[in-house]
Amino acid sequence: MSEAQAALLLRKQLGDLSKSPVEGFSAGLIDDCDVFKWEVLIIGPADTFFEGGFFKAHLYFPKEYPQKPPKMKFISEIWHPNVEKNGEVCISILHEPGEDKYGYESASERWLPIHTVESIIMSVISMLADPNDESPANVDAAKDWREDYNGEFKKKVRRCVRKSQESV
Amino acid sequence: MAESEDSGSELIKIVVKTPKDKETIEIDATATITEFKEAISQKFGQPVEQLCLIFAGKILKDHETLEKIGIKDGLTVHLVIRQKVGSQQSGAGSSTPAASSASPAPAAAAGAAPGTPAAAAPQPAPAAAPFGLGGMGGLSGLGNMGMGSANFMEMQQRMQQELLRNPDMLTQMMENPFVQSMMSNPDLLRNLIVSNPQMQQLMERNPEITHMLNNPELMRQTMELARNPAMLQEMMRSQDRALSNLESIPGGYNALRRMYTDIQEPMMNAAQEQFSNNPWASLMGGGTSNPQQGQENREPLPNPWAAQGSSTTAATTSTTTTASTTASSPAGQGLPGGLPGLPGGIPTSGMFNSPGMQSLMQQMVDNPQLMQNMLQAPYMQSMMQSMGQNPEMASQIIGNNPLFQGNPQLQDQMRQQLPTFMQQMQNPEVQAAVTNPRVLQAIMQIQQGMQQLQAEAPVLLPGVPPAGGMPASPAASAPAASATTSSSTDSTTTTTSTTTTTASASTTSPSAAVPPGGPTEAQQQLLQQMLQTLAGGTAMQPPEVRFRSQLEQLETMGFVNRAANIQALTATNGDVNAAIDRLLQAQ
Repeated sequence: MSEAQAALLLRKQLGDLSKSPVEGFSAGLIDDCDVFKWEVLIIGPADTFFEGGFFKAHLYFPKEYPQKPPKMKFISEIWHPNVEKNGEVCISILHEPGEDKYGYESASERWLPIHTVESIIMSVISMLADPNDESPANVDAAKDWREDYNGEFKKKVRRCVRKSQESV
Repeated sequence: MAESEDSGSELIKIVVKTPKDKETIEIDATATITEFKEAISQKFGQPVEQLCLIFAGKILKDHETLEKIGIKDGLTVHLVIRQKVGSQQSGAGSSTPAASSASPAPAAAAGAAPGTPAAAAPQPAPAAAPFGLGGMGGLSGLGNMGMGSANFMEMQQRMQQELLRNPDMLTQMMENPFVQSMMSNPDLLRNLIVSNPQMQQLMERNPEITHMLNNPELMRQTMELARNPAMLQEMMRSQDRALSNLESIPGGYNALRRMYTDIQEPMMNAAQEQFSNNPWASLMGGGTSNPQQGQENREPLPNPWAAQGSSTTAATTSTTTTASTTASSPAGQGLPGGLPGLPGGIPTSGMFNSPGMQSLMQQMVDNPQLMQNMLQAPYMQSMMQSMGQNPEMASQIIGNNPLFQGNPQLQDQMRQQLPTFMQQMQNPEVQAAVTNPRVLQAIMQIQQGMQQLQAEAPVLLPGVPPAGGMPASPAASAPAASATTSSSTDSTTTTTSTTTTTASASTTSPSAAVPPGGPTEAQQQLLQQMLQTLAGGTAMQPPEVRFRSQLEQLETMGFVNRAANIQALTATNGDVNAAIDRLLQAQ
């Protein structure tokens, strides 16, 4: 029942997004038969080091969606304080409300059933432009970002951007 | 497969959306992405190669069809227009990084057949990709480069961008045996440089660069520098440090930003023109020479030696400054000599004349610490070294100065003086000493002493026979002993007087032969020269001649004692007002 509801909701979002896509990303299904697995292409936001890149990410929705958040993982290599080295995106709105394993986020910052693919990706895009330094998932990237923003950080991000272009 | 179904073709409308605008494209439902892109290309006025279509989280590949991807009537497709290499370079703006990053990919793709699945293309080696050498394969690629062709230019531009973004790549490239073999061939390199239209322009403007390119030794040195990653990195690091220092000065940042755009592009060129047109060189040179200007404006102490040729001081001073920028600059810090401030006095590089540069210079004057940092930077020293080792280059720098161009005689003399400067400055002791405030003070005292001597007993100095120089040396060598560094400072002034007087062949002969290891000898020689030129200068132009107009003025004012007038004018460097004060006091 709930699974059907989740699928319905996701289908609707998919339809909306393909009819009137939102600026900055494009979303589709990895496999047209499975509405719970999404493929998203994020266009590197302008005026950031990520500009010019096409970053591919997957979204995995649980059957309990929208009660529980999806997981998001970058497939393209990306160097960012809030993205783990394996690509998993670590932002508060994707953290389940019940178990606050990080212990510092208020409930309102965490997952809410009102979030859609669009709102998630928009959060991620804004995260790319403005990392959250307090809870780094990639400590090395956070260090680069903090200490050598225009040097090492920029270099690594630009490398990712180049790679993302080459894989196109 | 899909394309063959021509019979059932129907037109669909697809919305194509860029960050800026939105267009509806009408196209056959079975069209391929290539066809779709062509339609978009017409509508948006952008070349097909620069279009990147995104739908349903995927970048659309050229060989796919709309039908297969599931693009139906009324759906929207994202369009990203990648910027072209050339346009992006000239267009300043925030989009530069992205644009440049986007450039290599389409260019690479453009080379391949349009239908090739881009994803299937192997990822090129990082070093090879930006230069397009990967596909050319080693030496055979050289032929393809076609000197001066548009392709080559584009490649060069891309290379420059890539290099600027990724210093590692430069090292990598330099280590490449192919590149090394290329580099070790100055002729080839020269051709490469000459074939660059930008360089051609530069060379037209500054013929000296051509001379430099014709100097294989210089080319080799430059290459050596480029090949040595450690040295290069050190250079870059110290540049960064200097930059961050500059940034901390109010107003410095703006000047820096302007400079940065100036530097970025000519960076590669600058490697070849290190000293004549490298913005950094002029920054170093101009910056270090400027303290004299800045301080002069505030507390103009008359310089007894500059006074020797007051008629031509302006011209000579500026040239002296240029020539000795790298060499004698530290002395300039503490030497408020009577060198007139000439804001546009160093036309070597146009950028120095820009208001931004001048304000930067002013900032630098106000911050002696920064000056010291810069002078102590390793690249500064290596610069001096190469200047010292390569008198020809130094002389080219002189030749670069329009003031000298008009006067071959001056040029010759400067040329002969230069090696001595260089060697002097290469001596670490001298370098250390000139940055010592007490030493500088001592030099000033000597200067003042000399001035006094000239004022009180002008007979002493002109009395020295032009060729001898020795009789006067006791007087002068005493101060020299007290301050070992005086020579470097003096050398600056010596040249001033030498050039102004254009006198005595004896001044020029010893300078070129000074051994690098003999600072004392060199100093003695310099002192001798100084005295000779002093003597020569006054002998040629006695005060009566030099101050004729002022003398007349004084006489018309009623000061009839000609000897006293001359003495007063000599003491005041021809300043009539000061001379009157003096005469009145004496009365």
